[in-house]
Amino acid sequence: MFLRQREPLIFERSVPGKRGMDLPRLDVPEAQDTRPVHLRRGGFEALPELSEVDVIRHFTRLSKWNYGVDDGIYPLGSCTMKHNPRLNERVAGLPGFTDTHPMAPDALVQGNLELVYTLQEWLKEITGLPGVTLQPSAGAAGELTGVMLIRAYHLSRGAKRRVILIPDSGHGTNPATAAMAGYEVVELPSQPDGTISFKDVTDPTSGKVRKGLLSLVTELGPEIAGAMITNPNTVGVFEYRFKEISDLLHSIGALVYMDGANMNALIGVARPGDFGVDVMHLNLHKTFSTPHGGGGPGAGPVCCAEQLRPFLPVPVVVRETPSVGAGEVPVSTYRWDWDRPESIGKVHTFYGNFGILVRALTYCLSHGSDGLKAATLRAIVNANYIRVRLQGAYDLHIDSPSLHEVVFSDTRQAKREVHTLDIAKRLIDHGYHPPTIYFPLIVPGAMMIEPTESEDKFELDAFCDTMLTIAREAEEIPAALHHAPILAPLRRLDETTAARKPVLRWQKPAILPA
Amino acid sequence: MRYLPSSPVEDRALLDAIGVMDAETLLSGIPEPLRLRRELELPTQSSEQEVAGQMLAMANRNTRFCAQFLGAGAYDHFVPSAIDALISRQEWFTAYTPYQPEISQGTLQHLFEYQTLICDLTGLEVTNASLYDGGTSCVEAALMAVRVAKKRHTVLVSRGLHPLYREVLQTNFAPHAELNLVEVDLKEGITDLADLQAKLSGDVAAVLVGYPNFLGAVEDLAALAGPIHAAGALLVSVTQEAFAFGWLEAPGKLGADMACGEAMSLGNKPTFGGPFLGFLAGKDAHKRELPGRVVGQAKDLQDRTGYVLTLTAREQHIRRDKATSNICSNQGLVTLRANIFMQLAGPEGLKGLAEQNAAKAQYLRQRLLELPDMEVVVDQPFFNEFVLRYRGDYAALEAACLKESLLPGLDLGRYYPEYQGCILWCATELHTRSMIESLVELLARVPTTV
Repeated sequence: MFLRQREPLIFERSVPGKRGMDLPRLDVPEAQDTRPVHLRRGGFEALPELSEVDVIRHFTRLSKWNYGVDDGIYPLGSCTMKHNPRLNERVAGLPGFTDTHPMAPDALVQGNLELVYTLQEWLKEITGLPGVTLQPSAGAAGELTGVMLIRAYHLSRGAKRRVILIPDSGHGTNPATAAMAGYEVVELPSQPDGTISFKDVTDPTSGKVRKGLLSLVTELGPEIAGAMITNPNTVGVFEYRFKEISDLLHSIGALVYMDGANMNALIGVARPGDFGVDVMHLNLHKTFSTPHGGGGPGAGPVCCAEQLRPFLPVPVVVRETPSVGAGEVPVSTYRWDWDRPESIGKVHTFYGNFGILVRALTYCLSHGSDGLKAATLRAIVNANYIRVRLQGAYDLHIDSPSLHEVVFSDTRQAKREVHTLDIAKRLIDHGYHPPTIYFPLIVPGAMMIEPTESEDKFELDAFCDTMLTIAREAEEIPAALHHAPILAPLRRLDETTAARKPVLRWQKPAILPA
Repeated sequence: MRYLPSSPVEDRALLDAIGVMDAETLLSGIPEPLRLRRELELPTQSSEQEVAGQMLAMANRNTRFCAQFLGAGAYDHFVPSAIDALISRQEWFTAYTPYQPEISQGTLQHLFEYQTLICDLTGLEVTNASLYDGGTSCVEAALMAVRVAKKRHTVLVSRGLHPLYREVLQTNFAPHAELNLVEVDLKEGITDLADLQAKLSGDVAAVLVGYPNFLGAVEDLAALAGPIHAAGALLVSVTQEAFAFGWLEAPGKLGADMACGEAMSLGNKPTFGGPFLGFLAGKDAHKRELPGRVVGQAKDLQDRTGYVLTLTAREQHIRRDKATSNICSNQGLVTLRANIFMQLAGPEGLKGLAEQNAAKAQYLRQRLLELPDMEVVVDQPFFNEFVLRYRGDYAALEAACLKESLLPGLDLGRYYPEYQGCILWCATELHTRSMIESLVELLARVPTTV
């Protein structure tokens, strides 16, 4: 998998006069220079001069230092690293989609509008929520849109509420989002089974009492705008009292936001609209197989209940079907509706990451209702298989039933001074990408493993065998694991110095006087 | 289902190992009343052939054009073949955010090079690993400026900024009662210096100015920087067409403290507005206020150079509600497209392409002005977009163009009532002389009376 030799920074390969792009012949008069002199582009300091061959080899070699989903299991918990079907890529590259301009008249982009409408219909049925916007570009952008819908809802009822409740097991994006939407965050403690605690929780070491849901609802009541709850939560456990939580919050006029990052555990078996969720986001780059791309582009559609629909971002796609005579088939047309006086406004310049929406709909059509449910069940079977195979060697800090992911702790290995980081780095030596580590924060030395439905028994067994080997190594040669990885292109990197004295770009070396 | 590894024999083996009769048993953690006890009311699974056909039919329901004279924030440029070939490698497009540096050096080194080139284009010192798009980059820039400026609560926005960027700003500022967004008027198509000076005060954190602005006009950043800096505010240059960096001096060299905007032009097609590429660059002194992912150089245990995600103490997974932004996933693969594009183009390619864009736009403007119905309305230096007043009826012009498979420029009155009857035209290196001539000949035949 790995290339052994070093690939230098491209700037070191630049040779004056090389060209990687030939310009077309100019068939109009040359541009007249109307720019004021000081606005004329001066030189570039870093842009390299290379041939196409140089560029292709550079990026091919660099790619060999990456691990991808096609290399094998990519067990990052909460990230849902499933297979990326090639059909999706092919379809997303159709010029009929890629050449369309976002400001073209609606009549000329009927295919795109139909696609947006159709994907929305799928997401409505999947979540059980009647309102959808596909505009947010990522999960965090979806969260922000969702919380702004909550804010708009309360304002429309003349209420200013200042607090959002977020469990301590939640993704960091939840509190960051609530703050960006102008809210104060109050943390909800977890109980030992990993779910939200209704009662106050006393910290066993510090003796400090943290207020549970019931106390917070009593104390803060009309100040609470809503709660952001991940379900299944980040420990891979279903919040089994979800309906009670939403009923309680609704009783004080607050709304419930569901972080849908873990929706891969629920499609076809349970619908958030049935547990009292008012608004949620989906991650098309997790649950709907659109590629992660080394960190995007993703898409974070937001689904919401009826009472939040008026506030959805503009524009909203509308289908119009004319009435026709008996025996005739009506032809529907689609248009953007910009006239939404209560809308929160725009959250993306245009309509979101449209190319990602194309891939997600392709995934939906390929799977169908039966395939989607089968994928959910298989993802859950795979996580439970890993749990059964590894629970003799690694501690399960929380023993609740696992859905699509399983979280182990390093408590057993820590006794031999081997920690989660060492186990993760050792996995690299064995040819695997590590799981999500040190998250959720409520599990000490967490290793969060999400195999997804894509892995067969052969792949699962190979991964589990490796994890068991590392557990044995932790017993037998614990000190050696501190050196891992030793087989990767680089050894452990000094992130502390990197942050203390940051070098964030290449600069031309100064010419030293002779 | 072709993507699932199921087979009756293996499924049984997995379930036996777990010790359950069937997969449904594993759902016991979901309370019965919350279970969906019916099938989803959606079509059932389809073959690859069927889905490919269905999606192609949908794509074909979009109208194709011989030429698009519409820019307005989404530009059609030529995309070199190497880009699609390289990003199709699974090591690039299927990988996750590079959290584990030893196994992600490809992505990390690429991002370090990308950051270097964005700094080069903008003439600034630090940047991040991307933002979603032009509109959201303005939001992040404005919020960053407020953090940098400390105790200043007003952000001035030139009316020349892309109208949809301004809408995205409005949406994101609405929850912050303590912050104000104030618009600065235009005069003769560029930011009105007198109005700017009147609105500058000790409470202004930053001023956002289009460079070039939405009307295509090149704002003189150097002239704006003086009064803005005198008031203690930051100048934020917003570029919606990254090709302009090959034609116009880098904003950082003209006094801009930050530069943000849209870089989709570097290797992407318009794709109905996304995925696009937001960028944000600034000064070294402000690096700890940057939003999102930042890649930096590091040494490994054997003192070899590598790259890591750095300055993470700003970010949501560490700082939670005190983070500089909630952004995490951004536009990774689009940054790769942009990096490959910039490396292929090099300094000569980027300047050469920019000169071709300017030449095509000048030729288009000159030819359009030969028509009796077109007249100059904004007389400023421009790059590849410009505004003309049209005395005829836009709807008639549009209908005539569409009939000939030409997409005309933007009806500017939709966004600027004061430019009612004006059209924003765009030309790039993709517009051949014959395309421009077909347009002009066609327009010469369109009836002028309403």
